[in-house]
Amino acid sequence: MRRIVNAVAVGMKRTIPMAVAMAVGFLILIDFFFDESHINALGSFLVSSAVILVAFALLLGLLNVLLVHFKRIGRREEGWPYSIFLVAIALIVLLAGISGPETDVVKWIFDNVQFPLQAATFSLLAFYVATAAYRSFRLRSLESIAFILTVIVVLLGQVPIGKSLSEFLPAAKDWILDVPSTAGVRGIIIGVALGTIATGVRILMGFDRPYSPEASSD
Amino acid sequence: METIATILNNVGIGEQQALMLAILLPFLPLLLILNRRIREGRKPVLRSIPGYEALSNYVGRATESGRSLHISMGTGGIGTEATAETLAGLAVLEHIATQAAVTGLKPIVTVSDPSLLPAAQDVLQSSYAVHGYLGEYDPTCVRFISTDNVAYAAGVADILEHAEVEANVMVGSFGDEFLLMSEVGARRGIGQVGGTTSPLILPFIYSSVDHALIGEEIFAAGAYLLDKTSHIASLAAQDWLRTATIITIVIGILARTLA
Repeated sequence: MRRIVNAVAVGMKRTIPMAVAMAVGFLILIDFFFDESHINALGSFLVSSAVILVAFALLLGLLNVLLVHFKRIGRREEGWPYSIFLVAIALIVLLAGISGPETDVVKWIFDNVQFPLQAATFSLLAFYVATAAYRSFRLRSLESIAFILTVIVVLLGQVPIGKSLSEFLPAAKDWILDVPSTAGVRGIIIGVALGTIATGVRILMGFDRPYSPEASSD
Repeated sequence: METIATILNNVGIGEQQALMLAILLPFLPLLLILNRRIREGRKPVLRSIPGYEALSNYVGRATESGRSLHISMGTGGIGTEATAETLAGLAVLEHIATQAAVTGLKPIVTVSDPSLLPAAQDVLQSSYAVHGYLGEYDPTCVRFISTDNVAYAAGVADILEHAEVEANVMVGSFGDEFLLMSEVGARRGIGQVGGTTSPLILPFIYSSVDHALIGEEIFAAGAYLLDKTSHIASLAAQDWLRTATIITIVIGILARTLA
């Protein structure tokens, strides 16, 4: 008897999440395809529910951050004093934001700490683009030769000196951007769209079950 | 054509939705037929993708050297516009987690979207459990960094800079912040595999990692790495639909030119 109960429990553990996921997926799909007020309302409700679930996941995220850094402090791993700093700041911002995200203290923290730090980190991107470009410009293969030639033509075609060197350069630049570049981008986009549809269909049909302990069927 | 549009409008289906249906409806039976054919043993030959081949080498090197391996599934999450890319990243994680469970490798998995945290932990835990090493599973292997893309990139850059990392695998949805992470890896000589779908970010990936997965290649992870029948079938279905799309484009061009 216990064996039968266990088998049914295991079966339900596998089947119920799959049935719920498939039903919700199909409902959202029907909501996308048909303009029917009841289905639209149900679709909006399900999407809002997902947003609420993600908000709970944010709490899990905070717990994870605290766990990782307490562990680091406990083990005196490299850079552990920074972890003390991180945990302290996280708790200070949490306390400051308890009465709402629009308080003066939270605004001050965002305006004077968060945004300047973001801007400073992002400004590094300009230098990283330069080093990445330098690495790509090294002649390694036929592909990199084509890459360099294209870059030279597009760069010279973009600046006034290019036009004074030759009328051909701006025209070549326009052709490269309008024809091969656009064709390549569109090819990638079509492929990505098909890949996205394939992923969605696999989940809708229950082939993929990222929400289940048995990740998916073979 | 106008008659069809009128009929569709009457049942509440717009032009965009009709186009989507035209792609989706043939996909469903095609996937089922191909899935059955592959189950019967008629498996298509998959072309080689260097990025996926390199992954196994990196896992082997990390295990031998006793160092770790960093995995990022992008700055998107489950339930967002980037769900498909994120799931592709999860497939890569599943492959690495399986190898990690067997070899004792301790991967460092970072997430930016909190919805991905339980999913990534579940993938790792399941892999350890399947191979009978559940006791070895450490939930702090998966680290939530920040929902902010720049803060996430800074956190990952710190891991790549200071942790003993042999390889860096970043497959999912990324923005400009990709370069902030991959350049640190490149500077430190860490082996890197990167992949995303955005054409704007692909030049960053091409120029900063050793093996780039371009566009839809990331969706092939389940077929290449996990050898799942449904993933191979959907890959074959994608090929059929791509061919149909190309034929439609050529017919469209000819019709427009001749008219």
